[in-house]
Amino acid sequence: MAWIHGWLGLLAGWILFAMFLTGTASYFRPEITRWMQPELHLRAVPPDMAAATAVAWAQANAPHDEQWYIYLPDDRTIATRIFTRPRPDAAAARTARREEVRLDPASGRPLAARDTRGGEHFYRFHFQLQLPHPWGRWLAGLCAMFMLGAILSGVVTHKRIFVDFFTLRWGKGQRSWLDAHNVSAVLALPFHAMITYTGLITLVLMYMPWPIAANYAKPAAFAAEAFGAEPDTPASGRPARLVPIAPLVGAAMREWQGGRPGTLIVRNPDDAASTVTLVRDGNDGLNARGGSISYAGATGARLSASPPPGPAIETAGVMLGLHMGWFAGPVLRWAYFLLGLTGGAMVATGLLLWTAKRRRPGARPFLGLGCVERLNIGAIACLPAGMAAFFLANRLIPAAQPGRADMEVAAMFWVWFGLAALALLRPVRRAWIETLAVAAAAFAAIPIVNASTTDRGLLRSIASGDGLFAAFDLAMLAIATGLGFAAWRISRAAAAPRRRATVARVPAAVTELADAA
Amino acid sequence: MTMARKAAGRGWHLAARCLTALVGGYAAAAAIASLGARLLPIAAAEATAWGMILSFLLFAVLGLWAFHEHRLGRVALVIWGTALASVAILLLLGPRG
Repeated sequence: MAWIHGWLGLLAGWILFAMFLTGTASYFRPEITRWMQPELHLRAVPPDMAAATAVAWAQANAPHDEQWYIYLPDDRTIATRIFTRPRPDAAAARTARREEVRLDPASGRPLAARDTRGGEHFYRFHFQLQLPHPWGRWLAGLCAMFMLGAILSGVVTHKRIFVDFFTLRWGKGQRSWLDAHNVSAVLALPFHAMITYTGLITLVLMYMPWPIAANYAKPAAFAAEAFGAEPDTPASGRPARLVPIAPLVGAAMREWQGGRPGTLIVRNPDDAASTVTLVRDGNDGLNARGGSISYAGATGARLSASPPPGPAIETAGVMLGLHMGWFAGPVLRWAYFLLGLTGGAMVATGLLLWTAKRRRPGARPFLGLGCVERLNIGAIACLPAGMAAFFLANRLIPAAQPGRADMEVAAMFWVWFGLAALALLRPVRRAWIETLAVAAAAFAAIPIVNASTTDRGLLRSIASGDGLFAAFDLAMLAIATGLGFAAWRISRAAAAPRRRATVARVPAAVTELADAA
Repeated sequence: MTMARKAAGRGWHLAARCLTALVGGYAAAAAIASLGARLLPIAAAEATAWGMILSFLLFAVLGLWAFHEHRLGRVALVIWGTALASVAILLLLGPRG
């Protein structure tokens, strides 16, 4: 079991590390997006007001489209997102695909801020790995299965699991890495097992659709039975106006006993057979799928609601909720964040343990060991540098620059892979020290660049009580300190043995000179 | 057999074991989960969901067992055999009426 544990961890480790870091960052997805658009000062509004302003915008700008998807803001996301789907015949006349629009929920006007992917970038990378659909999700799923196998084999292998929980031997090379790997893995084992399994469940419809085929001739029948059929009445052809939306939101919130709507789907908005479906926000409870209620758009009459889920469907919804952590308040969210970092530490210490075990002092490393060492540097030290570069690019690229959102993403990949490539030119130990130092410097630069390019620098944020901006900049400094400390520790460990070797070599050189003379 | 041929034989055996664990394990887990979903005497949507949820654990256990069990013949027979048999039964049964 130890053999397979090592191989599963090694083969999937670098990608898993990247998934852990970007996924952990995604617990603050809306906060990252808000930090990356410092021009915005939006205030939260009640959901009925946000829905009303969104519908007003859609009626003014896309009145004859087939469907409106309106993602209502909550107290973290702040802005309304709208995506509309044009009628098939109208789409032929329009070549460009509709972009998503973000609105100020109080006024209903489109946001005027620098274009950026924001936290969406890390979130999407986490399960798509920047690869074209569906390859990224398949690869992420494969790595998740390897992780599941590594967790099970790790527990089976680790017979003294509770004794070793309390063992952490510093400064003993391979043994220390083993202890660190055990502590980070065992300390948060319930979290690691939960996050891995629930992660697979988030994409279960893609990874394991076969039981649906075993029970249903038409796959859509499963979705209808499990989550309620979507209202799909075709357009009647008779024009009609939508009823005011705010009372519908109020009615839904009463039916959900205070639960909020997260999404609004309006079908055939200008037609007499229009429907308005309100989907409950996943934040309300552990089950991320809160159910939906549909109303007739022209009359406001209640048409249908999704059926209450059975135990299996509820379990799947709760697993989704546990992975996404939407239900978490601020304290639990930070706990998720720290546990995610522990997961990253587990993977990283595992990879470092693998090389520490196989490094023979004085002997030439075999090809595989060299590859693993270089990939370790590329993943563990250079990815954080790339993530910092993403934030730095956000502040340094001019706000009005066209295509700046893609440039920010490109900055992350150029710095990540570029730094890893440059590190190949250096001996392994120096490469570790230098890449970690670059990453530390990049993170430390973020608050400085923020203060010099915007009016929401760290000191200003603390003074004005802007919790989000202050916490973000402080977190960047904390990460910089951690990376810098790591670089410093390695440089000290590298210096000590070299000094002894130099002392030993001098007498030999002197003897040689004496012989030559 | 020469040392080189023995090593090559071991290489092919390892490749076969990996293929059986990864591809065969996935096929067997999917097939068993689907058969369970088809036969469980509860609501179709519920049985389907339970099958989907538990399939990953089944896949992981089968995959690990494929490397734990020493005899490759046994591993291949159990994993591929179960996959084929389950799929055959499912095709014969067809979806729920």
